[in-house]
Amino acid sequence: MIKEKTAYQHHPASFKDPSGFVFKANGKYYRQVNKSYSEDYDLLMSSGLYKELIDKKLLIPHTEVNENFNDSPDWYKTLLPEQLPFISYPYEWSFDELKDAALLTLRVLKISVKHGMILKDGTSFNIQFYEGKPVFIDTLSFEKYDDSKPWIAYRQFCECFLFPLYIEHYHKMDVQKLLSVYLEGIPASTIAKLLPARARFKLSVWLHVYLQASVNSNNKPTNKAATANFSKAKLLNLIESLQSAIKPLHVKTTIQSTWNNYYGETILSKNYLDAKEKVFRDFVSDINDGRTMDVGCNDGYFSKILAEKNNNVIAVDFDTQCVNKLYLDIKSGETKGILPFCIDLTNPSPAVGFNHAERQSFAERAKADTVTALALIHHIVLSKNVPLHDVAKMLSDLTRQHLVIEFVPITDEKSQQLIANKTNYHKPYDPEAFENNFSDFFEIEKKQIIPSTDRILYRMKKR
Amino acid sequence: MKFLLLYIDPGSGSYLVQMIIAGVLAGLFYFKNLWLRVKAFFSKGKKDDAAESED
Repeated sequence: MIKEKTAYQHHPASFKDPSGFVFKANGKYYRQVNKSYSEDYDLLMSSGLYKELIDKKLLIPHTEVNENFNDSPDWYKTLLPEQLPFISYPYEWSFDELKDAALLTLRVLKISVKHGMILKDGTSFNIQFYEGKPVFIDTLSFEKYDDSKPWIAYRQFCECFLFPLYIEHYHKMDVQKLLSVYLEGIPASTIAKLLPARARFKLSVWLHVYLQASVNSNNKPTNKAATANFSKAKLLNLIESLQSAIKPLHVKTTIQSTWNNYYGETILSKNYLDAKEKVFRDFVSDINDGRTMDVGCNDGYFSKILAEKNNNVIAVDFDTQCVNKLYLDIKSGETKGILPFCIDLTNPSPAVGFNHAERQSFAERAKADTVTALALIHHIVLSKNVPLHDVAKMLSDLTRQHLVIEFVPITDEKSQQLIANKTNYHKPYDPEAFENNFSDFFEIEKKQIIPSTDRILYRMKKR
Repeated sequence: MKFLLLYIDPGSGSYLVQMIIAGVLAGLFYFKNLWLRVKAFFSKGKKDDAAESED
């Protein structure tokens, strides 16, 4: 008789490191530690490193489960990490999210060295956002520190963190799309060509980018003896140099982005916002359970209202500056239940990596019990020419239960701006067509015109 | 294209760079510390802002 195979799903992104792997069992994510990693794992737990990282909330805590779920001969331990509400990827982070993730990695590295360990990899995929802050999630990234050796993950760290941050800092341009292609980071040789000439005059840029690019370009396997006299002091200098290179990097929010003054500039602003808030609060008053996704979140005004009663709010917008502003807001404020990410709903993150499975698409990760889409539909239909029916289908794919959506009619000031120079958008675009198309996927529960505007707020239930 | 990169372990390229960077930084930090000491000497009594002691 063939033994029934256990249906535990090996996580498709967890294959690179032979130290162990992540798998899903009974709806939870676990991490198996293999025998080959046992010494390093024991050192992590016994050296005081794990405790310090957990006390400072820098590493995701776990409990040990004494069960070999996979019947694996390599099994040493099974860990049950604290479960994360949402998985995001570096190409969905705003500038300061990536910057904080970089600084977290260096801080974890520095503490590790203090306890006689080091990070064996420096990828940005080791970081997730949790309770408003970045947290290190790869418990198997630590290994015993040999102080005669440099940091093996230095180049990877630069390519995944420092170089993309340089691009954003020097060019004030978004780097997310670039990162979604360069999953393993942007190579030094590429960055060296992309940075403006003035960047060369900065010592840290010269050292970490140009020097590295030129050393890499005439690369020969390094003579081991030549690198045998590295030291802890040198490593700490390197970490400090990376920290001081990253800390002053910034993106100016004075640049007029698409939305960053949306509510400020509109004629209707204060009255409109107050009226909308009142209706919105009424519509969401009894839906506080599960994950809520605010799509087209802008500056997060309404995400914050949702977060008053729900600490699992995902706020997404394609405007990276709005997302960045919201992130900084959350970081310095009281609300911790919102995670803001850069997502363009008309071109969301695809499934990428090995076998198209390593990094999931946004749609695979984003299902939410409640979805709110305020002042968004006119952009998708009028600017991006997506038919109403397709928008309804897309939103229904994201929604498990409720959708709260604002219809912005063609007569609205903002719609008029969008069609000022175009006539070929999908017609009819009016409340009747909107309701008909959405009725194929949703049942309209509530509907109210926002006072002193032509806009209508709907609450719908998924069919 | 740098195909050669594919045939070496991920660390070795960066090892050499780190050796050079460490050399440059050692010199730099030496002078920085010297400068800080000189500054501290002339501003005795005034407390320098404490270095990051969080970790």
